[in-house]
Amino acid sequence: MLVDFELVRRAQQGDGAAFNEVVLAYRKRTMGTIGRLISRSEDVEDVAQEVFLRLYFSLDQLRAPEVFEPWLYRLTVNAAYDYLRKQRRRPEFRMSDLSEQQVMMADAVAGGKVEHDQQQQKKLRETVDSLLGAVSEADRVLLLMKEVEGLSLRELEKIYRVKENALKVRLFRARQRVLKAFEAAERKSENG
Amino acid sequence: MYPMQGDDDKLDSLWRAYREACPDREPSADFMPGLWRRIESRRTFSFSFERMVRGFVTAAAALTIAIGVYMSLPRATPAAETNYLEALAEANALDTPENVGPVRLELNDPGR
Repeated sequence: MLVDFELVRRAQQGDGAAFNEVVLAYRKRTMGTIGRLISRSEDVEDVAQEVFLRLYFSLDQLRAPEVFEPWLYRLTVNAAYDYLRKQRRRPEFRMSDLSEQQVMMADAVAGGKVEHDQQQQKKLRETVDSLLGAVSEADRVLLLMKEVEGLSLRELEKIYRVKENALKVRLFRARQRVLKAFEAAERKSENG
Repeated sequence: MYPMQGDDDKLDSLWRAYREACPDREPSADFMPGLWRRIESRRTFSFSFERMVRGFVTAAAALTIAIGVYMSLPRATPAAETNYLEALAEANALDTPENVGPVRLELNDPGR
């Protein structure tokens, strides 16, 4: 926890200053998570504000301050998912979605050859974004929460309120689809 | 290509690189003021909506009571109790001399 339970309790009771402190403590991490989930840097702050807005109006529903972090993650996941659905900018994945440059980037990353300058980071984000086009918005968020945010299955279970086995199956299928897209891109790169 | 490295491992490397390429970011100076503006705006909207709903409920309740009171009032004048058919019958009574008097026949009809 980045804040103590007492602060969350005070925020729950309508203490604006306490709520402010909670936001200040979590906003950077929340924005980072959203940035990786939606990969649209210009909208990250807007979605993060939406998360804390929802937090403000739903704090009274929080059962105990001890479950605050999964609660906040849940709001983050939902806001990111709503954003992605609204955007509807993810067409069905096609091999042509990955440019030659992006395929080379994926290979270079795998080979540890990447110098992380801004341009390359942008291309890397585009590559991952294209690969994630192979799965639904919901699976994209779930996969990133596991693979990139590094959350454990137990943590995801608390966030999604779904049994661990169901999550495992869903994650496995999503990963397989992304892997298939990745392999297709690799083959394309080899042939091209 | 990297024959020693499977696609699974490559994908894991890609996730790691993606994580590094997208570090946690600093919010802008307008983050907190913007958030509080949105909270206030939502609160104002909710308050107005609540007031509007409350107004509608009050008006509906008042109207229901008014209709109830009106319906329960006893009709004071007998005229008010007569319905349309009764009023019509009264105006055109069947037992008037024109209706119930003897029928007169014209026997010296030149046409016969």
